[in-house]
Amino acid sequence: MRAGPWSLPARTITCQGLIMPLGRTPLSRSLAGALVALAAVFGVLGLVTVALVLPTPGPRGAYVGLVVIAWAYVAAGVVAWWQRPSNAIGALLVAGGGAWSLAALANTQVPELIAVGAVAATTPVAVLVQLLLAFPSGRLRGPAARVVVGAAWVTVLVLQAPGYLFVREPAPYHLLEIADRPDLAALGGLAQRVVGALVVVATVVLVVGRLRATDRERRRVLLPLAVYGLLAVVMVPLGAAVADLVGLDPTTLGVVQIVALAGVPVAFVTGLLRGGFARTGEIEELATWLGGADGRPGLARACARALGDPTAQVVFWLPGTERYVDAEGEPAQLPAAGSGRAAVEVELGGRRVGAIAYDATFLADPEPVAAAGRVLALAVDRERLVAELRASDVALRRSRLRLVEAADRERRRIARDLHDGLQVRLVLLALDAQRFADDVAPELRDRAVALRTGIDDAATELRGHVHAVMPAALVERGLAAATEDLVDRVPLPTRLDLDLEDGTLPPAIESTAYFVVAEGLANALRHAHARSLAVRVVATRGTVSVEVSDDGAGGAVNGMRGLADRVGAVGGSLVVDSPAGGGTRVSVELPCGS
Amino acid sequence: MRIVIGEDEALLRQGLVHVLGHTGHTVCGAAADAPELARLVAEHEPDLLVTDIRMPPGNTDDGLRAALALHRGPAATPVVLLSQHLQRRYARELLAERPTGVGYLLKQRIADIATFVADLERVAAGGTVLDPEIVALMAARARLDDDAFGGLSPRQQEVLRHMAEGRSNAAIGRTLGVTEKAVIGQISRIYETLGLPPTDDDHRRVLAVVRYLAG
Repeated sequence: MRAGPWSLPARTITCQGLIMPLGRTPLSRSLAGALVALAAVFGVLGLVTVALVLPTPGPRGAYVGLVVIAWAYVAAGVVAWWQRPSNAIGALLVAGGGAWSLAALANTQVPELIAVGAVAATTPVAVLVQLLLAFPSGRLRGPAARVVVGAAWVTVLVLQAPGYLFVREPAPYHLLEIADRPDLAALGGLAQRVVGALVVVATVVLVVGRLRATDRERRRVLLPLAVYGLLAVVMVPLGAAVADLVGLDPTTLGVVQIVALAGVPVAFVTGLLRGGFARTGEIEELATWLGGADGRPGLARACARALGDPTAQVVFWLPGTERYVDAEGEPAQLPAAGSGRAAVEVELGGRRVGAIAYDATFLADPEPVAAAGRVLALAVDRERLVAELRASDVALRRSRLRLVEAADRERRRIARDLHDGLQVRLVLLALDAQRFADDVAPELRDRAVALRTGIDDAATELRGHVHAVMPAALVERGLAAATEDLVDRVPLPTRLDLDLEDGTLPPAIESTAYFVVAEGLANALRHAHARSLAVRVVATRGTVSVEVSDDGAGGAVNGMRGLADRVGAVGGSLVVDSPAGGGTRVSVELPCGS
Repeated sequence: MRIVIGEDEALLRQGLVHVLGHTGHTVCGAAADAPELARLVAEHEPDLLVTDIRMPPGNTDDGLRAALALHRGPAATPVVLLSQHLQRRYARELLAERPTGVGYLLKQRIADIATFVADLERVAAGGTVLDPEIVALMAARARLDDDAFGGLSPRQQEVLRHMAEGRSNAAIGRTLGVTEKAVIGQISRIYETLGLPPTDDDHRRVLAVVRYLAG
């Protein structure tokens, strides 16, 4: 779908155990008060206007009707503002109420108020255009919409001016006249009609374009609203002509116009609240509170913003292990005394749930931090559970790694003990046996030499075991040398592709990679009926890739459980690709954290 | 022949000193770690250095690196490396710059005193001696890899293997049950197959071995 101005923000915002700031918070009470005051002001202003227009001769119903329209706008605006504080439609509707209120003043008998009314006479049309183009977010999106709305305001404010500046009128309508220039007034009127018509056409084009770009569900709501709004826009300047055409008497026309125009804000606010945009509004509220769904922990962000300290951190208390962790579950330390940072504990129902660390050089007084902590306590407690889960995951991962490292250390120790102990003993024993053979009578010599070669055979066997436990090449040089040594002993043509430097990898990664190659080759030789093998070990930035492949029978089913566990323990991944008849490929990726 | 020994295991060090002392050679120094080894060689300028590969202080390949430095140094001390495990990589490094006067043997070979001492003497005299196990390993690889050695007959490969172990033509002939002359004939065909230029025979012999093993 093309991203039209009415396309809405992503609907899927994950809400990670956060408490929405609904209900009667101090902020919402303050908003409610302000809106009540606003409504009261417009109510009183409207009553004053009514009182002032009643003495004016002419269609008094229409005069009062304008005030009714203004009230309708303000009422709808206040409702929208209260329900969707972060959506600008409410404010726009209230502004529309203001425009109608000012326009209504033209029907009083007070010259100054008449002048104000003359200036504002057509501003409701501009508000209506802006409403149409800003719905439902309240913001104008795209340069075209901004240009059209700008032109609308120019039409109603600037091009309106010649109509009162250059026309001679009797008192009390004379206040704004600066010259009697009917020609200029006519020119201004023409310009206003032309530009106004262009604005209306452009608005229709934009609205139709947006309707086409939106999905069906929303179009069902938006289409009647757009038609109604556009008709209202057109009706203001063209109403009289239309009435003439269909033979409507002026009184009926006035009633129809007033009802229609007063219905506009009601239609908009109904559309906003009930027309499928309610959810969008809520998500926008949530997103505003979260500061966007960009992945940064909402709690820390909200806290940092509330305190005005971008370095503020929220850490979570794990009662089981008596320590703090961050949102990722990694152990966290509270700032030490004298570090320039300080921390305030967050408690919920008398139990510690976390702490807020902040920059003590900016916030000398811990009380605002403690206050933020009290507000956030419930959210901190909820977030704490996630952090706890992550911490136990981190702990599990580390413990698996430690097990692998401990096993490797043990292997190294056994290999070293055998190398320094038993292997040396066998050399010396064989040496003694040979010396004995050299010394004894010839008839015993053969038996003594046999003893020596027997010891040599035992030594050969032991060498094989030591090699399997922890190969000398891995201990003395590293993965590249050990892999090469391994491949050298494969009794099949084996391609070796090595790209790494020994002495750069962590021991656990190195030995894991080695055992992958060793077991991969052993499996291939045992089961695959392969004709040739290939080994590839490549270290790139942060990763070691190990691949053992053969051209054998394939169809290998997980014979590598232990190896997969080992790979998983060091944070790597193992994939065995073994289609029947298509050879086997064992691929392992290990993180080497360089 | 004057020999310096490098071996960190005290019992084995004493065993080596004993064996070599009883075969008419002089052990003029026995080092327990790589720096001491370098110091003793500089001090005694021996005819031969016999050393373990894995030695303190690093307990990795310190003995090998010390020995290579001494062998490649101005004195070009002949070197025999001893190890519990043989690697083609070490053999390649040993043969890389100066493939004469070098040996690489399993520690267990010490027990066969007569052969061991004869191997040491050959290296001290500028020969090249490699353990049969590493030669077998390299030969197996050479057979598997499709290169110049594929052009050698099985008998020629066998002869080349014995050459790599440092055996004389007469000894090879005895092992294979043929005359020394037949062995010489095989060897010249090996040179031809490997494309070695007809220069000094000893040099060609070493080159053939090196080329064979480095593959």
